Amino acid sequence: MYSSAHPRDHSACSGCSLCRLVCPMWRSRRDPRYSPEGIAKARQNGATATELAGVLEACVLCGACDPVCPEGGALIDMVMELRRELAPDLPPAVAPDAEPAPAGALLLPGAVLRADPALLSRVLELLGLRCATDDGADIALALEAGGMIDPARRRRFLDMLDGRTLVVGDGLLLRWLRAALPGARLQGLGEALGNIPALRRRIASADFYVIEARAYHADHARLVAHYDVLRKETGCAMNLDLQHIAIPACDETEARWMLKGRRPARIVVENAAERDILRRVADVPVLHLAELNGEAAHA
Amino acid sequence: MKFPLVEPGTVGPCPVAPDALQGIVRQQTNPARWNGAGWDAFVAEMRATGVEVAESVATRGIFATDAGGTAYGMPHGVVVARSAVQVSVLLKAAQAYRVPVTARGGGLTTEGESVAYGGVLLDMTGMSRVLQIDREAMTVRCEAGIYWHGLAEELRREGLDYLSAPLNMTSSVGGTLGVGGIDVNSARLGCSADQAISLQVVRPTGEIVECSDSENAELFQQVILGYGQFGVITEATLQIRPYTPLRMHYYYYSTLRTAIEDLQMLDSNDASDYSGILTIMDCAVNLLVAFDSDEREAAFTAKWKERLRGRGELGFALCMLGRYALRPWRFGEALYLLNRKQAVFPEFRRPEFHRDGRMDDRTVVFSRAVWKHWGSRTMVIPDLATRADQFVEAVERGNAVCRKYFRHYTLYCVGIKLRADHAPHYEMSCVPPGAEGWAYGCEFEPMIEGEVYSRDHFQSFKNAIYDIGVDMGASYYRFGGMMKGYIRRVFGDALVDRHLAMKRAADPAMILNRDVIF
Repeated sequence: MYSSAHPRDHSACSGCSLCRLVCPMWRSRRDPRYSPEGIAKARQNGATATELAGVLEACVLCGACDPVCPEGGALIDMVMELRRELAPDLPPAVAPDAEPAPAGALLLPGAVLRADPALLSRVLELLGLRCATDDGADIALALEAGGMIDPARRRRFLDMLDGRTLVVGDGLLLRWLRAALPGARLQGLGEALGNIPALRRRIASADFYVIEARAYHADHARLVAHYDVLRKETGCAMNLDLQHIAIPACDETEARWMLKGRRPARIVVENAAERDILRRVADVPVLHLAELNGEAAHA
Repeated sequence: MKFPLVEPGTVGPCPVAPDALQGIVRQQTNPARWNGAGWDAFVAEMRATGVEVAESVATRGIFATDAGGTAYGMPHGVVVARSAVQVSVLLKAAQAYRVPVTARGGGLTTEGESVAYGGVLLDMTGMSRVLQIDREAMTVRCEAGIYWHGLAEELRREGLDYLSAPLNMTSSVGGTLGVGGIDVNSARLGCSADQAISLQVVRPTGEIVECSDSENAELFQQVILGYGQFGVITEATLQIRPYTPLRMHYYYYSTLRTAIEDLQMLDSNDASDYSGILTIMDCAVNLLVAFDSDEREAAFTAKWKERLRGRGELGFALCMLGRYALRPWRFGEALYLLNRKQAVFPEFRRPEFHRDGRMDDRTVVFSRAVWKHWGSRTMVIPDLATRADQFVEAVERGNAVCRKYFRHYTLYCVGIKLRADHAPHYEMSCVPPGAEGWAYGCEFEPMIEGEVYSRDHFQSFKNAIYDIGVDMGASYYRFGGMMKGYIRRVFGDALVDRHLAMKRAADPAMILNRDVIF
């Protein structure tokens, strides 16, 4: 049994390789260097962020490694921290000129959803929420790229959101908000939409349901039960492996692996970016969860 | 006293009488590091043929130790296996330059067998793809570096499953076939290596050979349970079966002997599809019994269930309550059992891994639990493999050693059905001499729990367990690496010398997996 006294950074890695089994970058390369274990072991042997640049850039930050690590290692944090070391000159996240946030519960759509106004409008209608004018897209970008977040910007953003009910479209931002706002009521977009009974009823047993990996892995212990219930209720197949870790459609290779051996009638996604990738590799309709039924909000 | 000269990479005659070291504290010894002669020229030739040899410390450091975490060694370079041809090129050059090559799959050895003390570390996980699933023949062809879990991921999508594999998701197919592999269905289906139908092997001299019981049978026999001495397995054709979730039953015992007797009763009567024993020390002994079908479960319930002397969870809890109420001085032990139960049991019952009361994937459930609740940065797991009639005595003696060396520990016992037609595979392996029908294995695993023990303490513990094996004429699963000193004592000079001659013929420069056995 691992002692709780052990550190949770790269030094905790004992090389069990469990993270390799779920890692998209290892799966596509079959090279031990391209895995959280490879990064941790390299760090144990003195490798710098610069020496690991190729691996760090290849990581898609899906977070699959965190829930399977028996040491409870914060492997995504390790990668994001190294990315920050790698890119010290990136301009810090800067607040956009935004109007004050509307009162009450908010949707933070994120860049992908905001880029599809029709879908965003449908999501807002389904959830009955208002859209945050400042959805932290700059912070999400900084988290992804390893940029710094200006402390004043961080404080202002968090102050605006503290104590609210929030639905967050960007999985990486959701993960960050979970740590920064432990008291807030936070949900990922997929979970929030999936809780709408009218939408749930539209998910069929012949569907293949694609969980958004970042949001799912960031709160895996809780969400594994949520999706287990959804799967049992609807009978649909999901992009979960045998460990109930989500396979992300981060590129066409992963999307093909996700669908290998599956014969769905339709694919339902939580993340609009994955919809576009899956449409390139699948010969069945691919819909966003919010697109299942335009009248669902009124049902 | 005059010792005979020992050639590097061989096992010299053992000058020690079988009982001379019993009870004596011993130290961990690692093989000498290869001196690197000719390395640069070897690497230049590799690069000229397009084989990448990674020499950075960061890459080599990934392989500095194995799952055991007590043996450390750095290779001079790492090659990620990509094809049989590439492995062939590597081995031919390694023969010419006399560069040691250590093949590694999941790296789950505990005695340093997959640690390279210099030379090349050949990472086989680079070859880890499923090549073909044949539903008619019910076989799968895969690259040998694939993790069993990776194989399961692909087979399940087709409603199929492998026969048996170690309950550890990061065991590789090639590594397992090389040593045997046990599962909780091994008492019915044999060791994992028994499901291999044919192999593609790269001999230590670089020839790529297909082998099976009917084609190059001698090589097939050497490589299966050959501890990596006679070739690198690059592809394997394995028997498969339709996938079925399994229904698990747990029975609890307070003595090892009773639980083992019941286990053997179930095995010898083919009363269950899966069986094994997992303990918390020797106080809470869990006999697990599982079934692939309702019919098999019903037959067990009708005929065998009532013969088991184990209790259900509630009955056992009441029994233990009474036991410790009468022995208040053992309150600490009772508290440990309770804490352990509360930590471990939910892991075996997580709802997402069960459907309609059936367990979806035993390897996922057990492997997660093992790494989380038994795993440690240091893992020492000596074992004993005996004939069925010796097993109770072996486990009880090993248990006494565990009690002497560690506060807390776990025992894992399972039967292995032996196939008469595979007798040549079993020679000089974990299958004990004289075993017929079934062999039984027990792993003795101390719980480290953040404690600090010296490596010599671990070594002494292992020796104390292995001395029991010498005394009883048993065998071991882990007799290579740091425990290779037992090889001659257990198998005898005649058998070891015959295998040594075979090894020299197959691997003239003695470069492949040096110091694992020879």
